[in-house]
Amino acid sequence: MNLENRKYIIVFFILAVGVIYLIKLFYMQIIDDTWVLRAQEIAEKRKEILPPRAVVFDRNGRKIVSNKTYYNLMFIESNIKKLDTVAFAKLLQITPLQVRERFNEIKLGEGVYFNKSSGKKTSNYQKKRAYPFLKELTLDEITNIALHLDNFPGFYEEVTSMRSYPYSNGANILGYLNEATRKEIDEDRFYKAGSNIGRSGIERFYEKELRGRKGIRYIVTSAMNNAIESYANGKYDTIAKQAPGLTLGMDITLQAYGELLMQNKKGCIVAIEPQSGDILTMVSAPYFNPNLLVGRRNISLNYPKLVKDLDKPLFPRPLQAEYPPGSIFKLVQSLIALQEGVITESSGFSCNKSVVGCHNHPNASGVSQAVQYSCNPYFYAVVRKIIQQNKKRNNYQDAEIGLTIWHRYMTSFGLGKKLDTDVFGQRPGLIPDSKYYDRLYGHNQWGFSTIRSISIGQGEIKLTPLQMANIAAIIANKGWYIEPHFVKSIGDKGPLPAYLKKHKTLVDAKNFIPVIEGMRRVVNEPGGTGSAARLKEIIVCGKTGTVQNSQGKDHSVFIAFAPMENPKIAVAVFIENAGAGGTWAAPIANLIIEKYLLSKISDLNKEKMVVDAILSNYTKK
Amino acid sequence: MRKNAAIISKLDWPLFVTFCLLIVFGMATVYSVAFNEEQPNIFDLSEKYGKQILWIGISFFIGFLIFLIDANIYQRVALPVYLIVLASLVIVLFMPPINGARAWLGVGSLGVQPAEFAKIATALLLSKYISELIVKSQTIKTVLSACLILLLPAILVALQPDAGTLIVFSSFLFVMYREGLTFDPIVLSVLNFIPGMKFKSTWLGSHFIPVLFIFLFLCIITLLLSNVHFHLWFFTNKLFSGSTGIVLILGLVSVIILLFIRRISIKRDRSKVVLVVVLGFIIIASITLFIESGFSSLAKHQKDRIELFLGLKEDPDGRDYNRNRAMAAVGSGGAFGKGYKEASVSSVESNHVPESETDFIFCPFAEEWGFAGSLFLVFLYLFMLMRIIFIAERQRSSFNRVYSYCVAMILFYHFAINIGMNIGFAPVIGIPLPFFSYGGSSILSFCIMMFILLKLDSQRIDVL
Repeated sequence: MNLENRKYIIVFFILAVGVIYLIKLFYMQIIDDTWVLRAQEIAEKRKEILPPRAVVFDRNGRKIVSNKTYYNLMFIESNIKKLDTVAFAKLLQITPLQVRERFNEIKLGEGVYFNKSSGKKTSNYQKKRAYPFLKELTLDEITNIALHLDNFPGFYEEVTSMRSYPYSNGANILGYLNEATRKEIDEDRFYKAGSNIGRSGIERFYEKELRGRKGIRYIVTSAMNNAIESYANGKYDTIAKQAPGLTLGMDITLQAYGELLMQNKKGCIVAIEPQSGDILTMVSAPYFNPNLLVGRRNISLNYPKLVKDLDKPLFPRPLQAEYPPGSIFKLVQSLIALQEGVITESSGFSCNKSVVGCHNHPNASGVSQAVQYSCNPYFYAVVRKIIQQNKKRNNYQDAEIGLTIWHRYMTSFGLGKKLDTDVFGQRPGLIPDSKYYDRLYGHNQWGFSTIRSISIGQGEIKLTPLQMANIAAIIANKGWYIEPHFVKSIGDKGPLPAYLKKHKTLVDAKNFIPVIEGMRRVVNEPGGTGSAARLKEIIVCGKTGTVQNSQGKDHSVFIAFAPMENPKIAVAVFIENAGAGGTWAAPIANLIIEKYLLSKISDLNKEKMVVDAILSNYTKK
Repeated sequence: MRKNAAIISKLDWPLFVTFCLLIVFGMATVYSVAFNEEQPNIFDLSEKYGKQILWIGISFFIGFLIFLIDANIYQRVALPVYLIVLASLVIVLFMPPINGARAWLGVGSLGVQPAEFAKIATALLLSKYISELIVKSQTIKTVLSACLILLLPAILVALQPDAGTLIVFSSFLFVMYREGLTFDPIVLSVLNFIPGMKFKSTWLGSHFIPVLFIFLFLCIITLLLSNVHFHLWFFTNKLFSGSTGIVLILGLVSVIILLFIRRISIKRDRSKVVLVVVLGFIIIASITLFIESGFSSLAKHQKDRIELFLGLKEDPDGRDYNRNRAMAAVGSGGAFGKGYKEASVSSVESNHVPESETDFIFCPFAEEWGFAGSLFLVFLYLFMLMRIIFIAERQRSSFNRVYSYCVAMILFYHFAINIGMNIGFAPVIGIPLPFFSYGGSSILSFCIMMFILLKLDSQRIDVL
């Protein structure tokens, strides 16, 4: 046997070990991330620092949403050593049973997922992750606890901030925050257990703009879990950065005044600045104090109450309630008819009460007068002319063409669709088209007489109060609108490009003149239905509406803009089951306009009458 | 002067440079890991790096002396040195234990561990013994005598207890294997005892050591795969175990070899190859299945221990703490590491990896320099080992050759076990990384071992 060859066996062993080690090292150090994560878990504690959410200002720079500092009592289960439940419960002033229940609650709250590799349901809860044991403690509360936390390793305090609303108004606009759900945490790594996320309104729509940039500090920790130093001298640290403030078009004093006027009533006020599309005020009554929904403790206490309330204070009426518009719709009908050329501004139709009911007034000899008197038979005649333009011999086919033309105009007014804007959770309303009636009655089975109630804004027509206010803004602008929106500026950037774009309606400016004249007469001439909206110093143009409905008393509607020249405000007021438009909606619009334009109230009796009126079962809580 | 010049020209520079590189990188890593801001001077004797430098200095001074002394002395002093070390290994057992082991001889911080020097002494005596043998006449007596030389210090080390060094003593078995001092005589005496048997040599007896290690390797692979189960596409309902997979793959390879047998062997050898392939398959398959069934019949706590050792079971904060932290440190190094002195897991102040300056020194190095560093270090060691084997094979004197092989195998064991335990391939037993780890005894003993090797090699021409 040649012994010298045995060296090859030894060389083979050495090289085999070397190669295997290199492969393993290559895998561990370059391919496999597990150990990097493990090392982070062990030594490089990532401490995330959440900036306070951005502050929100009203159009005059008043701070309407700000932040307050609170403290969370956090824990990491794997760091807890021999928890003395009794002493701990005593420190927190709860019972030991509640301590155990809270742990269970957190674990269950994290939910389970199906682990494919083990084929078992596994909890999302992780012993090495931080969870809030108690949330939203005030400085006093945490000071007492923090003094003794050294006895309870695994627990620590964490600073957090929560929303605070210096004005208790505008809850339906601002929205509220709530804890992120498991799904949201999985989808966006920004959130972790206990993080807040915008649930509705501006907080939700501008979540990304408001939440800011998280700061991350990397600290090297020792085996005893003490922080030793910042990792790599803070090279990778990022500073938590609060997002720039949002400036709303809303005027908080006007909003507060609107809410005062709407107390004990159901309905809405929407006010828009016509030139800019800024929403000045959007009252949804009944309303609630936004501070009621701040933080976990408040939400769990108040949210169920608000949900159970029969008057539905959480229902954002201005954007989600779809009402028939009633007589204010006649304005749009006249504009379409004038533009289509089926009438002129001096076309007269007699007030033929055999067609449809009307109140007593002289026959209207032109559009302005018809608007002033809100003559129902007149608008039946006008809309018949739009729908039945005799373009087809067949009456039904003719109606289909007419309705399609009419529908196109309506769409250009932003009706029957959601506005493309930052108002979160809008409903589209309803402007029926020929397909809609085909479904309802069958193809070529309907003509004007079938659908005639749309002429006076009844029947199938549904508008949201926001759309009604937008109609007022369109008329004030004589034919165009900017999407009504809340946010005027993010930081100092000024209006978003989308909110500088003018949307033209299909109606020319000249056709608005007789309609505006009619609206002036409604308020300012004897025989007008909206005299309650009259102001001495300023010419208000308006239109009342009285909406019949199956749920009881008529809804009271009024839309208006003022002043007549260079309008500064367009308003829609909708009061559920309050009777005629001139009785309640018009005076409320009047007060809003006066408050906004003149910053004073001349008729205190009127104000008192409105404020004191109880038009629903709702009582302010 | 002329003599000095002769030494420089005869020194094996590739080996010497590799050796120095390891010393330098080791020193740098110790300085990084044990760095104390208040005593930043690398020569500060109150800090570990200062002590390490002192030990390196002492080692090189002794190395200088070694080069002044004639190489022939080692054959003469081998036995006395061996006896002195044995005596000190006995004395050490009566010393007060430090960290649970009676391993230290000396006072205060400048103690030495005789176990480290026992390796040199054993290597010298084994070389002397083997070089004086006539290999052809290996008998049971010669094999057992050689084994006795290993066993005496090994047993004394085991009593300390020092499991790591004990295992290192088995490295001499490879040296014996290389020198033809195998277990064949023992196997033969048993075999030939059976009537009718008359063997001159057996393959198993001659290659017992590598076969044993391949067998152990196979065991580990089988156990690693024991928790792996897989489906075969045509038996959808049945789960197959990992060992079945090994057997299937081996079977497939065997079948392929048999199918292409015409291509790979000449006609004369064909029946032999068929026999080897078939027999080999049957033996390996039965061993695999035997291990598998043996493992599954173990008691639960035994199984747990084995699974833990193999990394099949995790107990990262308990029994598996050291290895888990070490692997986290190594694995988090990435491709190019976190940078010198930037180790976050294995720095002494964070203290996640215990003994990061001694037994786990590979951790901070791999964490600081990443895969690039690991690759460099593994290559340095592999190069050094290959170079030593190359040197061994060029020696005329068998004493020199055996001694070189001893050094190679001792270094290989330390390298394989030390780095292995940092990457989860070897159990956590405390043995230092040669030339790298902090520790006076280990630096001194490895350096002396290396200098003797270099001296013997430089004088290889003189010896005849």
